[in-house]
Amino acid sequence: MSFGSPYVTLPDFTYHRPTTIEEVLKILKEHGDEAKVMGGGVGLLAFMKERLMSPSHVIDIKGVKELGGADYVPGRGLRIGASVTIAELCQNDLIQDKFTVLHEALSRVADQMIRGRATLVGNLCEAIPWVDSPPALISLDATVEVVGPGGRRKVPVASFIKGPVDIDLGPEEMVASVEVPDVSGMRSTFEKFTSGSEFSLASIAVTLQSQGRKRTARVVYGAVNSTPVRCQEVEQVLEQETSRASIRRAADTAADKVECMSDVLASSDYRKHLVKVVTTKALGRLLQK
Amino acid sequence: MRDLALMVNGQSRSLRAKDNLLLLDLLRDGLEVRSVKAACWRGECGLCTVLLNGSLVKSCLVLAAEANGGEVTTVEGISEGEKLTPIQEAFVEHGATQCGFCTPAWVLTTHELLKANPNPSEKEVEEAVGGLLCRCGTYNEIREAVADASKAYAKARKSIVQRAR
Ligand SMILES: Cc1cc2nc3c(=O)[nH]c(=O)nc-3n(C[C@H](O)[C@H](O)[C@H](O)COP(=O)(O)OP(=O)(O)OC[C@H]3O[C@@H](n4cnc5c(N)ncnc54)[C@H](O)[C@@H]3O)c2cc1C
Repeated sequence: MSFGSPYVTLPDFTYHRPTTIEEVLKILKEHGDEAKVMGGGVGLLAFMKERLMSPSHVIDIKGVKELGGADYVPGRGLRIGASVTIAELCQNDLIQDKFTVLHEALSRVADQMIRGRATLVGNLCEAIPWVDSPPALISLDATVEVVGPGGRRKVPVASFIKGPVDIDLGPEEMVASVEVPDVSGMRSTFEKFTSGSEFSLASIAVTLQSQGRKRTARVVYGAVNSTPVRCQEVEQVLEQETSRASIRRAADTAADKVECMSDVLASSDYRKHLVKVVTTKALGRLLQK
Repeated sequence: MRDLALMVNGQSRSLRAKDNLLLLDLLRDGLEVRSVKAACWRGECGLCTVLLNGSLVKSCLVLAAEANGGEVTTVEGISEGEKLTPIQEAFVEHGATQCGFCTPAWVLTTHELLKANPNPSEKEVEEAVGGLLCRCGTYNEIREAVADASKAYAKARKSIVQRAR
């Protein structure tokens, strides 16, 4: 029997459901470019319906035990496995309290049903300019743990994303986890501007860490260019002072320095304006905390 | 092709299907569960929402193969035959149904919300149903219906608690 929608079909492929990382790597080795790892499948199945991707092997990693779980070790930080869903992370109190920027970014991804399927790692690997997790992860100095035939390697999220839909991952490799280093005395927040759907037109992730009198800031914009944009000039403003007046200075600096692209969704001028809006909103909230 | 066996609304069902079949198409075309609606096929409208192993999912974003050996519940699975449940009654009462196309997804999602949280705040309701679209635009009526149905759920929970004491 054959059935299915006459309108929207997936290309033909073989479905795999391995239970260990070794098995995943074996299938990847055998099929290389022809195989794709599937986390939640939320992005992958959509790409496949539109024939943007047509892998002949789909490797579902939901059954791989080692890829589950989000563990925090004081002093070392947080390690989030590749099959952990965004919904699971949203419910994690430690992430909410300690890595607030990540909690805020993830709780604004799509809706509850999508968050229940989509993984953080899948969101990151999609590397579409408007996805919400990369700016938050970069502001936290997170790294990606890649496994492949050559063993394990760690890559900062900032260099893992090489371009739009382009990541530092070989055809025989997969992402096992994302690691967020431990911090103390950090305040952080995320803000995004959307229009008509959940997709960001501009987003900002900010972290502020105080150690004695020294303050370190990280400010990363998402959705304004083809990859996340870190703005050191705004960071300097926040490292000097965090008064109400600095919010305006930071927003003006951002609009001046952050390079914005034009595309079908928005012009670069409009995005520059939005950069100012999200900066003002995020810092307003953060500096009141 | 692959042999699939799953529980759908408490009944065991089996069929042979290709690996690229969506859970949505398995339910609608393979098993003729037509309360599961197909509209956008891209996870935006939520009208194909079902429970897979106890979690709400948009079945257009799930492979049929992923449900193998699992348990699927659609609105039929939480209905009581001819008798309307408090949620269904509230939807009818408040005219939250209009064309009816999206109603199964709303009723199922509301049921899951109220089961876990019989007294949700407005914000919690918005969160829970945020992934569903109604093109007639009966959002206000739906809001009223959910609020009304929640009274019945809260009352039922209270009586269970009292009986347990
Ligand atoms: C209706 C809708 C609304 C959305 N709104 C938002 C939003 O507001 N914000 C937002 O950020 N995103 C949004 N998204 C996008 C969604 O968040 C992503 O599609 C999702 O996070 C991807 O995660 P996944 O686990 O489903 O990835 P998958 O679909 O499984 O995979 C995505 C890509 O990553 C690769 N991949 C996945 N896991 C691994 C791994 N371990 N190793 C190597 N490669 C891997 C896959 O091969 C694929 O290329 C939306 C999507 C939909 C359908």
